[in-house]
Amino acid sequence: MRTDPLSATFAALADPTRRAILERLARGECSVTELAEPFAMSLPAISKHLRVLERAGLITQRRDAQRRPCRIEATPLRDAAGWAEHVRAVWEGRLDRLDAYLDELTKQQTNPQETKP
Amino acid sequence: MIATPTVNKDTFSVSTPADDEIRMTRLFDAPRKLVFEAMSRPEHVRRWWGCLGEGYSVPVCEIDLRVGGKWRFVNRHPQGEAAFHGEYLELDPPGRMVFTEIFEDYPDVVTTVTSVLTEEGGKTRLTATVKYPSSEVRDIVRSTGMEHGAGLSYDRLEDLVAELSRA
Repeated sequence: MRTDPLSATFAALADPTRRAILERLARGECSVTELAEPFAMSLPAISKHLRVLERAGLITQRRDAQRRPCRIEATPLRDAAGWAEHVRAVWEGRLDRLDAYLDELTKQQTNPQETKP
Repeated sequence: MIATPTVNKDTFSVSTPADDEIRMTRLFDAPRKLVFEAMSRPEHVRRWWGCLGEGYSVPVCEIDLRVGGKWRFVNRHPQGEAAFHGEYLELDPPGRMVFTEIFEDYPDVVTTVTSVLTEEGGKTRLTATVKYPSSEVRDIVRSTGMEHGAGLSYDRLEDLVAELSRA
């Protein structure tokens, strides 16, 4: 697997259970047991997902006796969303601008006296 | 600044030909040769690429148009600068151009862009296929609304990200 931060974020987000865990944590810190409740999953299975999320920097887990509360870390998600939003805006913008520019070029070719760059 | 409305905006469509790709297609009211030149000559690229309005410009636009040649564009925008670079992998004017593209803020994400130009009833159709490093990366890009809300698998993630950015 690729190890750069953005790819680690994308890989961690690829799983629906892990996205659901993040959604739950976005509402506030909670324990592993609380996280496991809505899923038909064993604690070890949930812990496995939490380890993936932790390695990707998407959550942190405090060593608070048995509770081990988890909390979401917003930065990697914001980075991933920022990158993706940027790509989308760039492509849409580029194609629109190219269209407008080509329109200007073709008009220049048909009426050279009318428009100057 | 060019104020012409974009007449072919409605011809824009997006598809996903493979699980790590996004394909965008759009019609242009110009001959194929002109579209290819507009995409590959610095004097043209400076005039449209990344020029989204007032306060936008392209201070750096380097194109070494040959297979193995490098390109680098810098887009100045009201919030700062965004730089992109890559390498031409295939060139077959005026019909085909394949290059890598790296957004320098995220240097680990290398995408490969295949641009194909076809003639269509006196107009030119550009089909740009962007290949991402993985299907996860592709899905995240898709989730940001490239398909205008059609069949998004990550809409809940979008909500989450929106919630986080408000926090």
